[in-house]
Amino acid sequence: MNIKLTTPAAVAAALATLLAATPALAADYAQAAGSTLAFASRYDGELFTGRFPDFDTRISFDPAHPEAGRLEVTIGLASAVTGNADRDSTLRTADFFNVAQFAQARYTASGFRKLADGQYAADGTLELRGVRKPVTLTFTWTEGTQPVLSGKAVVKRLEFGVGGGDWADTDTIPDAVNISTRVVLKPL
Amino acid sequence: MSLKNTAERWGSVSQLLHWTIAVLIILIGVVGLVMGELPRTPKYFWVYTAHKSLGLTVLALVLVRIAWRLYAGAPVPVPGTPRWQALLASLTHAVIYLLILAMPLSGWLYDSASGLRPFRWFGLFQVPKLAAPDEALAATSHGAHELLFWVLLALVAGHAGAALYHHFVQRDATLARMLPRGWIPAPPAKDSE
Repeated sequence: MNIKLTTPAAVAAALATLLAATPALAADYAQAAGSTLAFASRYDGELFTGRFPDFDTRISFDPAHPEAGRLEVTIGLASAVTGNADRDSTLRTADFFNVAQFAQARYTASGFRKLADGQYAADGTLELRGVRKPVTLTFTWTEGTQPVLSGKAVVKRLEFGVGGGDWADTDTIPDAVNISTRVVLKPL
Repeated sequence: MSLKNTAERWGSVSQLLHWTIAVLIILIGVVGLVMGELPRTPKYFWVYTAHKSLGLTVLALVLVRIAWRLYAGAPVPVPGTPRWQALLASLTHAVIYLLILAMPLSGWLYDSASGLRPFRWFGLFQVPKLAAPDEALAATSHGAHELLFWVLLALVAGHAGAALYHHFVQRDATLARMLPRGWIPAPPAKDSE
């Protein structure tokens, strides 16, 4: 945009253009320290939780215009830790994340919805193990110098082939895996 | 045959407990050494459950055995046993008792601290956890479980070797009196008897 602010009319026109283009004002953020991405499931009824220390978030978001928001998360699957080295190494095998072939998962969404309870929802796409399926992330947004996105999602593991074969029995490992994240954001 | 132990012989209760526990420990030891090589999928988890279930069974049997021994006593060393040998044997027995308590307990603690899945004794009832999931505690208890196994193996080898020495070299009743009468030929009477 090349606007010459030579006359009051030109200034007014420029301001009007900027206002009309409000979505473009959606601020861009990158992930800051203190962010977490966690998951929870059960084995034979026994709860366990895990984290992906290696994940990265980029978001473009203006609470006043959620429909213009964009989100992109990359997750290093090999980083998954669950407090048990045997379980962690099993998660990296071909039966689960197959990190040798698919090192990263990606979640992308554009155009968020504002929900009645004040939360937002992103109807995005998760690409995991070479499979792309819709996954909805519901989140709250806390303003600040470093805004915080706190979100939850449910991922059906079997849609992505996570824990197939001998592990497919949902009486042992439920299909639905609960994801929760808290992303601290710094303006770009 | 007497149920209770006498000064000369182990009674049938002590014999049954001794040999049942011995066979179970050999079985558990073999399973424990090879199960780590199995593919880590639910198809083979029953092997781990069997190892743990047999281990807790041994724990219960050892408690019964110690209680029975306190109640029923133990035979005295065969005549002519040097004092240092009798002391060494008693010490070995005491440490083996401690180890066969510590083995299932350390395994149970390892299972608890691992927090991988619930443990049901032979699939029948859920065994309580001794600790919350804790990676450091799991590593420590696993290390202890392995180390104590090798110590136990060494002591059991010495214990069995001593029994065979008594039977074949000393030709005394030390081994025969831990077996039902007539199972192995009674050692020929010695001059001292």
